[in-house]
Amino acid sequence: MQEATYLILTALAAGSQHGYGIIGDVAQISGDRVRLRAGTLYTALDRLKNDGLVAVDREEIAEGRLRRYYRLTPDGQTRLAAEAARLQANATVALRRLRTDPAGGLA
Amino acid sequence: MNEFPQLERRYRRLLACYPRAFRRENEEEILAVLLACAQDKQRRPGFAASADLIRGAVRMRLRLAGQPPRAVQTAIRLMYAGAAVQLATLITLVVTAGQVHRAVARRYPGLTEAQHVVNVHLLNDYIGVAVGIAVWLWLTWALVHGRARARIVLAADLGVMSLSLLSGMAQGSATYAPADVIAGAATWLIALAATVFLFTGASSRYYRPGPRPVTPWHGTFGTM
Repeated sequence: MQEATYLILTALAAGSQHGYGIIGDVAQISGDRVRLRAGTLYTALDRLKNDGLVAVDREEIAEGRLRRYYRLTPDGQTRLAAEAARLQANATVALRRLRTDPAGGLA
Repeated sequence: MNEFPQLERRYRRLLACYPRAFRRENEEEILAVLLACAQDKQRRPGFAASADLIRGAVRMRLRLAGQPPRAVQTAIRLMYAGAAVQLATLITLVVTAGQVHRAVARRYPGLTEAQHVVNVHLLNDYIGVAVGIAVWLWLTWALVHGRARARIVLAADLGVMSLSLLSGMAQGSATYAPADVIAGAATWLIALAATVFLFTGASSRYYRPGPRPVTPWHGTFGTM
């Protein structure tokens, strides 16, 4: 899973959000390292919708403009949980090895 | 009230690059996000935002119908590569036209007939390559949209290209510059590879007539 996809799913894990909200949340989650742009975001959202990982939650009109909220589907939650577990397992192994390796410097 | 009328108009022009159905569903929403991200008194889209929108549009248009096998994905990528090679050839022909004229003038001073022949030859090349690019892009579009007959047309095009290339090589450098032959050979090899990929068993099953579960821009091209 690409990092942008992972971060979008993570942003939606806490509840439904609109596009601008997702961009801000992804920046916050990644410590300002990943700044999604609209083209990237909506291409990813379109793909995630078609893969059944994300769905439109509701639509609003704010200041005369359409605002669409997205949410994770049950499949999206499962997929995100699996990816998070995979990343956590990898990180655990890396950190354990660094602790046990005398040259690692973390012990 | 719209605070950014010029910016909105320019963003809409960029969004026009996306497939129509995607635009119908998402344009107003994307525009709202783009304008929400705009700085005070901004009138033009930034370079990064423009590049991102164009890249997104290209990715949307490259998506294939349904869930295509890897062979079809590879063939489509080869088709785009072939169009790019031909475009590079056309640009090279246009850029180097002056050099050809000067070389002929040096070799045959005062011989206007030779210049005329060169002009006709170059014009033929321009038209031939431009038509080639158009045909390739149409074939790629048809293949992306699951048109089985496009495979046959590509195979026929490969046959014509083979004859043309063999003819050029048989005549040596009398009618073709080495760069022409190299560009032709590169395009031919790409066409051959794409044709092979399109006639594998998995590709044939993909292009077999039948309903597709999703519309073209809704398929998945890459992996997540």
